[in-house]
Amino acid sequence: MAQQTLSTHHDERSGWLSKSLPFWLLLPMAIVLFAVQVYPFLFTIWLSVYKREPTGWVYVGLQNFKQLFSTSLFSQSIGLTIVFLVSFVVLTLVAGFVIAYLLSRPIRFTGLYITLLFIPWVLSAIIGGEIFRLLVLPTYGVLSGILHNPHLFPPDGLSVLTDAPPQPWIGNFPFPPSAAMVLLILATSWRSLPFITLLLLASIQVISSEVVESALVDGANTMQVIRHIILPLIRPTLVVAIFSLTLAGMNGVGMIFSLTGGGPGTQTQVLPWLLYSIGWLQVNFNWAAALALFIGVINLLLIVGTLRFTRTEDAHV
Amino acid sequence: MFNKEKQPHRKIHWLIHGSLITVCLIMLFPIIIAVIESFKEQQDIARNPPILLPCDTPTQTFDITACRWSTEGYQRVLAIEHDPSALFGFRVTGTLISVYLGNTILYAVATSLFVVLLAGASGYAFSRFNFRGKRLLMTSVIAITGVPLLTNLLGLYQMGVVIRKSGLPFDDRAFLITVYVGMFLPLSVWIAKGFFDAIPQELEDAALIDGCSRVGALFRVIMPLAVPGLAAIFLLAFVNVWNEFLAGYLLVSQNKFKPVMYGLYNFLGQNIINLQVIGAACILISLPVILLFLFFRRSFFQAMVEGALKG
Repeated sequence: MAQQTLSTHHDERSGWLSKSLPFWLLLPMAIVLFAVQVYPFLFTIWLSVYKREPTGWVYVGLQNFKQLFSTSLFSQSIGLTIVFLVSFVVLTLVAGFVIAYLLSRPIRFTGLYITLLFIPWVLSAIIGGEIFRLLVLPTYGVLSGILHNPHLFPPDGLSVLTDAPPQPWIGNFPFPPSAAMVLLILATSWRSLPFITLLLLASIQVISSEVVESALVDGANTMQVIRHIILPLIRPTLVVAIFSLTLAGMNGVGMIFSLTGGGPGTQTQVLPWLLYSIGWLQVNFNWAAALALFIGVINLLLIVGTLRFTRTEDAHV
Repeated sequence: MFNKEKQPHRKIHWLIHGSLITVCLIMLFPIIIAVIESFKEQQDIARNPPILLPCDTPTQTFDITACRWSTEGYQRVLAIEHDPSALFGFRVTGTLISVYLGNTILYAVATSLFVVLLAGASGYAFSRFNFRGKRLLMTSVIAITGVPLLTNLLGLYQMGVVIRKSGLPFDDRAFLITVYVGMFLPLSVWIAKGFFDAIPQELEDAALIDGCSRVGALFRVIMPLAVPGLAAIFLLAFVNVWNEFLAGYLLVSQNKFKPVMYGLYNFLGQNIINLQVIGAACILISLPVILLFLFFRRSFFQAMVEGALKG
């Protein structure tokens, strides 16, 4: 205490400033994040256990969740989401890895290739959906001449945006996916692929060339190098990639707006679209809030699951 | 990873180039089609069966001299009117450009400036200071990136309704900019922290020893070095806001304040079979961000890899 009072005025002032400076630097960010992210999230939780009655908001406990989960639209949407998410993540990850591996080879023009590949990422989801729609629109779409051809797509050609879904193989599980779902998966994957490729490429490039070359000298072939050296070394990045793909797949509705509008019928009504539809088309914010929390919890489980899965794998290697 | 001096066998070399060119063509195919469609005439759009290039004649399937290119689609999007009192003697009356594009430019510039300011300040604080609760705060910022926009949108929508009723001098535009700042801030904070971590602490210490104050050191030594990183954050936020649809669509009640992606979505309903108009609108709206990306691609790549791998 005595020492502190002895210190010069200048020191005291700068000491006070450097102590409180981080607080002042962080305060605006914390306020904005609280207002835009934390508070609305808490409000969503509140909405999910209340119900709008003519008299006002009434506490109903878990009733919104129970009612929502018992609807057939919800269970159908779960199936569609599984098909969509699994295909989307696997397709994007595999394609992204193959392209990243090709780009990591010592060849010229890689910068040019990366730039060209990246253009789809710069386009918005609305525009991406719309230009895919231009391809498959019934009658006028550029590819519809090929798709309508009954010889290529028996029995009577394909009309992606209007066809009824195929007969499911097991119960009501929407597999094989309908043509509209395949289109949605391809289009969503197309927009996410550049980013995933860049991410994987960045992590492949930091692998030291000695490791790979000594394996090649020892007689390992390309597949063995990929399987035993590259994949284990880029595992943390793969986790990040799965993480961001899952989030993108669970939350991306922009493309559905301009591509399929959830249709034909309910064929592409994945969970995020169902949330939009319940919240803003049926104006039932309480059910929507319950669904939003459900999606949030599933996201969390998928992320934690991915982390755990990769960690136990690490222990074995 | 591979030794750059050692070129692979010539055959494999061509195989790799061949596959990469194929991949690029597949990725660019939908965009190329959209460009071709945007320059077609209405009668070539409405052909059944559809044709890829409007270059056929009654006798030949392809004749380069007979191509019927037209800018009708662009003319209909822009709807240019002659007006001698305007700056260049004409006015663009298409609402997509005259109303919605202006809104989006305002939102994108304002949001990016605020994001740079806030992410710069907090990234610097996270990178340079140790204080109680730092880890907790940093973890919270990451955790927020995992909360989907859709979950918060319900709460934000209700907040918007309350703000509108309250009569505060805080209209939908200010509200939307705040929401965008909050949406793109968490990742930007991480990117900024990474960029500040890369600037050596010694530089700052030297400035402090030479009698510079902490704030002086920040502005004279650190800021000039941080400019490229902050520019990358600005660009990333700009493109993200430009492309954002859902929040702008749902949180703004008046159509005249909605962003350009809403305008485009609205446009689709009005031009169901005029594919040349839709194509032209898509090309015009995405051209600015494509050019921005092509000029500053290094900044984009750096910021994205930084944000994803550190976060």
